[in-house]
Amino acid sequence: MNTLRILPKYCCKKTQRFCRLPVSQNRFYARPTSFPDFFQNPVFRKEDQAKLVETTDLSKLAAVPVKPPAVYETCSAYHDPLVNKVINHVMEMGKKQLARSLVEKAFENIKRIQIERYHLASTAEEKNKIELNPKKVLHLAIENSKPLLQLSPIKRGGITYQVPGPITEKRSLFLAIKWLLEATNEKERTIHFPEQFAWELLDAANNTGKVVKKKQDLHRQCEANRAYAHYRWQ
Amino acid sequence: MSHVINFSVKHLLPVTKCYLRGNFVSSFCKYSSASNSTSNSGNVLDNLTDWETLSKKKKISKAMKAYLERAQEHDEFMKKQQQEFAIGKRHLANMMGEDPETFTQKDVDRAIEYLFPSGIYDPAARPLMKPPEELFPARKAAEFDEAGRPHHLLFYTGKPNFFKLLYDAADNIKQLQNFEDRVIRKKATPDPNGALSLEGSVWLTKEQLEQVLVEKILDLEYDNFKVVMERLVSLPYSYRCKDFIEKYRNTLASQKFALEIPKPSYDDDGRAFITTYECLRKKARGDVTIRSPGSGKITINGKDITYFEDVQSREQVLFPLIFTGMQDRVDVECNIEGGGPSGQAGAIRWGIAWGLRSFVEKEMLEKMQIAGLLTRDHRRRERKKPGQPGARKKPTWKKR
Repeated sequence: MNTLRILPKYCCKKTQRFCRLPVSQNRFYARPTSFPDFFQNPVFRKEDQAKLVETTDLSKLAAVPVKPPAVYETCSAYHDPLVNKVINHVMEMGKKQLARSLVEKAFENIKRIQIERYHLASTAEEKNKIELNPKKVLHLAIENSKPLLQLSPIKRGGITYQVPGPITEKRSLFLAIKWLLEATNEKERTIHFPEQFAWELLDAANNTGKVVKKKQDLHRQCEANRAYAHYRWQ
Repeated sequence: MSHVINFSVKHLLPVTKCYLRGNFVSSFCKYSSASNSTSNSGNVLDNLTDWETLSKKKKISKAMKAYLERAQEHDEFMKKQQQEFAIGKRHLANMMGEDPETFTQKDVDRAIEYLFPSGIYDPAARPLMKPPEELFPARKAAEFDEAGRPHHLLFYTGKPNFFKLLYDAADNIKQLQNFEDRVIRKKATPDPNGALSLEGSVWLTKEQLEQVLVEKILDLEYDNFKVVMERLVSLPYSYRCKDFIEKYRNTLASQKFALEIPKPSYDDDGRAFITTYECLRKKARGDVTIRSPGSGKITINGKDITYFEDVQSREQVLFPLIFTGMQDRVDVECNIEGGGPSGQAGAIRWGIAWGLRSFVEKEMLEKMQIAGLLTRDHRRRERKKPGQPGARKKPTWKKR
């Protein structure tokens, strides 16, 4: 149902007030699930539900069949979709437990490093600046390493040009996580993944390090290739 | 004078035919003679003969003739089927030892299920006995008059009813847009209470739509139908063609939890408890007992929550308890077997949520429904297919 809702621009502008069944979670399935398409996506987090209650009537929503939440989704305060996403990127060969433990160990390392810095800091001002919550560090790191532009190869007159263009939200998130993991895997064999990952995250959260440099390089390259931008539509 | 000639020709015609037929026995001659006579008379006596009635008789088109034959055949067939069905029903009633006069379709279905038990997975493939009107698809009435001229303006599209539906929908869209423009010109705002609510219904499925239209349609055409109707619904004044929209929607059955919520029973200590049997997920099977008031003690197969070694499964078990805020107000006991940790945790999650229905308020029940906790996850492992290494995975492509 959701995939079929193709509206012309004209309709979108005028119908915002009348939008039906707000979908606060965007879950994309690679292939159709075995649930019929009128099944709505579940809204299970407390804050999402609170938002939903404000706008619409509960009993009306409850009359519609809803898909069950997936195995990795809970309403607990520790549940974070972005952390889940990172775990899935870290995972190899379907070993999710291992991936999760690695990411959690990295969080532990971040916490240790930050607490040490916290105690070494002398003034209250410096202490305030240090972010102690590893999940917030992760969010910040990913936000800092997300690129705003991308280069796409376009062939014109036998020559391939690297043409800069805008990037979708989804792809920029993908690139940020991929770069962070690539930077982490360029390590000595004696250093373990959680330690290196923690350092990379802290660096990126601080707007320094390999990943942020990579992002800036890409931006610089896009800036240099500005002259080719018109190939996107010509 | 003219009258006399007219008469004579009319009388002569059959005579000449007979005469010719008697002499030359070939059909070719018969036709030629007929055409000769008519053309002759046409030249001479055009204004004298009653051509209208003559041509009417002759001009039933081939298509109409074929249609009439088919229709008659179908009517006879249906009549025969109905007779057979009536007799069969009486026999069945006698076999089951019931009164044939009061034997309803429900009884027939029950009897068939009893006499021909079938384990075939697809219900459509099991033996059945239904009235012939249901079994044999309805047919269209004649779409053209006797001269072969179609009634419907979209006859030559091949699917007049379907395209008429699209045409009507587009027409409605246009009208609504015009109406909207008029409202905007008057600087009024749409009535928010009048908005169309379609939550409890879905579009007709392809098969149902085909039945309504009495036409076979393609998947692509069905998608087009949905797109057009969605566009119509999305307009702010769509409630103005509510009748048209609701003709093509099916109401969904209301949710099960609203129907019956069991009352908890009481054990020796005076604690309310409720047991949910048949908690299923993947290959796991089990039952969950919830006792209230309690202290948040969880027992799974005699162990506590450390029965599950991974955190994800533990989170799943706690999900409904945390969601309803009952984690320290009830005790949970589960027996579970089969499947792996993920399936077992999912089964327990559903069992706890299902059991908690008796201990929470209506508002929380609705919240649980929106969170999808009350929906059973009926998905199973997809089977492996022959000729490929997995359910969907294909072998690596090799040129040779």
